[in-house]
Amino acid sequence: MSEVGFVFSLSRLWHVAGGQVILILAGLALIFVDIWLSTKHKANEGTIMGWLTIFALMATLGHLVFREWSLHDIVFMGVFSAEKFSVFVSCIVLMAGILASLMSIGYLRNNGLARGEYFILLIFAVYGTIALVQSVDLLMMFIALEVMSLAIYILAAFLKGDQKSQEGALKYFLLGSFGSAFFLFGLALLFGLTGSVNLTVLAKTLSVGIFEQPAVLVALGMIMAGLFFKMALVPFHMWTPDVYEGSPAVITGFMATAVKAGAFGVFVKLLFVTFTPILSLSGQPEFFTTVNLASLGAYWKPVLWWLALLTMFFGNLIAVSQENVKRMLAYSSVAHAGYMALGILAANAEGRMGVLFYLFSYTLMNLGAFGVLYILDGKERGAQTLEDYRGLGFKYPTLSFLMSLFLVAMAGLPPTAGFIGKFYVFSAAIKEGYLLLAALGVLTSVIGAYYYLRVIYMMYMKDAVREITPGPVAAPTVIALVITALGIIYFGILPEGLARIATIAQQSLAFVF
Amino acid sequence: MVTLTHYVVLSSILFGLGAIGFLTRRNAMILFMSVELMLNAVNLMLVAFSEFRADMAGQVMVIFIYAVAAAEVAVGLAILIGLFRHVRSVDINKFNVLKW
Repeated sequence: MSEVGFVFSLSRLWHVAGGQVILILAGLALIFVDIWLSTKHKANEGTIMGWLTIFALMATLGHLVFREWSLHDIVFMGVFSAEKFSVFVSCIVLMAGILASLMSIGYLRNNGLARGEYFILLIFAVYGTIALVQSVDLLMMFIALEVMSLAIYILAAFLKGDQKSQEGALKYFLLGSFGSAFFLFGLALLFGLTGSVNLTVLAKTLSVGIFEQPAVLVALGMIMAGLFFKMALVPFHMWTPDVYEGSPAVITGFMATAVKAGAFGVFVKLLFVTFTPILSLSGQPEFFTTVNLASLGAYWKPVLWWLALLTMFFGNLIAVSQENVKRMLAYSSVAHAGYMALGILAANAEGRMGVLFYLFSYTLMNLGAFGVLYILDGKERGAQTLEDYRGLGFKYPTLSFLMSLFLVAMAGLPPTAGFIGKFYVFSAAIKEGYLLLAALGVLTSVIGAYYYLRVIYMMYMKDAVREITPGPVAAPTVIALVITALGIIYFGILPEGLARIATIAQQSLAFVF
Repeated sequence: MVTLTHYVVLSSILFGLGAIGFLTRRNAMILFMSVELMLNAVNLMLVAFSEFRADMAGQVMVIFIYAVAAAEVAVGLAILIGLFRHVRSVDINKFNVLKW
């Protein structure tokens, strides 16, 4: 199916990649709208652009849910595929984009930089992430990765007057392009050795045992290393805390959720479409009979085992020693990547479903936490360090309650969606016999609970030492916080519906051929 | 005679030099150039493979990589200038307001 679809037709483009088409057209159109707004309606530029962006993202979400989700012929020209897995991850990315846009309207107003290009860049970042997940061709994957990264680099540097923002962005840029160079080198090697960079063609080529050549293993390793940079697994995480601390708070939330969802989605797709294909329910395609494909797992599984362990431990341990709450959340997001890596390592249906569920719930709780964080961190005399959070609980009960809810969810306590996500991932790993790693993982999540609950302890049990003035709360931010809070509780109590959809989504990986 | 192996070895060496340069040099501009060297090593290898396999796809990829690299430099230099306005230096050891 991947090779027959090479005839270009606009209607097929619209069916398979219509979401991307909407985003590109909206992004380009908004550039002109912004020029017009900045001359005629300077005062409301940020707000109007924000709502237009939300409208465009909602339209894309509608296309994904109502059209691409039910497609049968899913591959477009051997470049994009709209199988349910990537549609599901794209929906998570869009959800993160919509929530981030809602919060950005208030955030930009509070910080006096309500400018339209912010939202245009956000649209292109969402576009790049979705194209990344939907691509079935390594070159397209690279281009999408760069579109996403370039937009995010600029967004990370958006606070021009703040040295931290500039420094974080430069570090992100340098290490990000270093990582992409590795991805490219692997791509070039693979092209030379196998003659194709298409995931499905590669799967066939690798299935005849060619992967046992050292050069092919080096190529696959470099491609994976390039993705590890974006997934921020230890020891590829060096940029993460600096970038997350320096960037605008809402963009940090977006990076920690959407970009991470994109990188994890494409990694899962690469692993289970190309490196270790899941055999479809209709019996295995004939080209898999020549060699036992699971043997490639013997190479990537030990690597991922160590990466998951290191990520869970370092992320949580270093987070304990952080005084700055934003930086603490940055390390916590590294730790969460470790739990998701555990689900991928399990390599069974429940693990993949768990990763999808985890990404979904993590998007809600992390964006929610950064939404509260930016309000508390008002322009002057805002709460930044742990000490500043002392006594906030009774002075700002609603904000503190929401923050506590998001932190409890991140700690993985019931009845929140964070608990269910961790439960799925750990039980999948235990089912595959990774008992030691799962036990160590639970241990690290206890460390995690300590520093999350410490913030709550500071808010409710300690008296304030200095006066904190949070910024004003904008209406769109309220909408976003309500959505995230309700989502976390709803999917924590009734996870079955989402879990069923995630199960269907992960099954579709067997049908990309 | 120059064989495919020569090209692969040459581009691997160039890629390695770029990577070493990136990890050891302290001037942000040199880091940019090191990354560019790595990308161009990849381009060289793609052209060589393309010739060897008689498959134009490799050369098409090079054009794409050029376009991406150009965009990357534009963004990277803009960010560097933004930071230079604060620090008045391109020495990465001086970029140290964020640590641990």
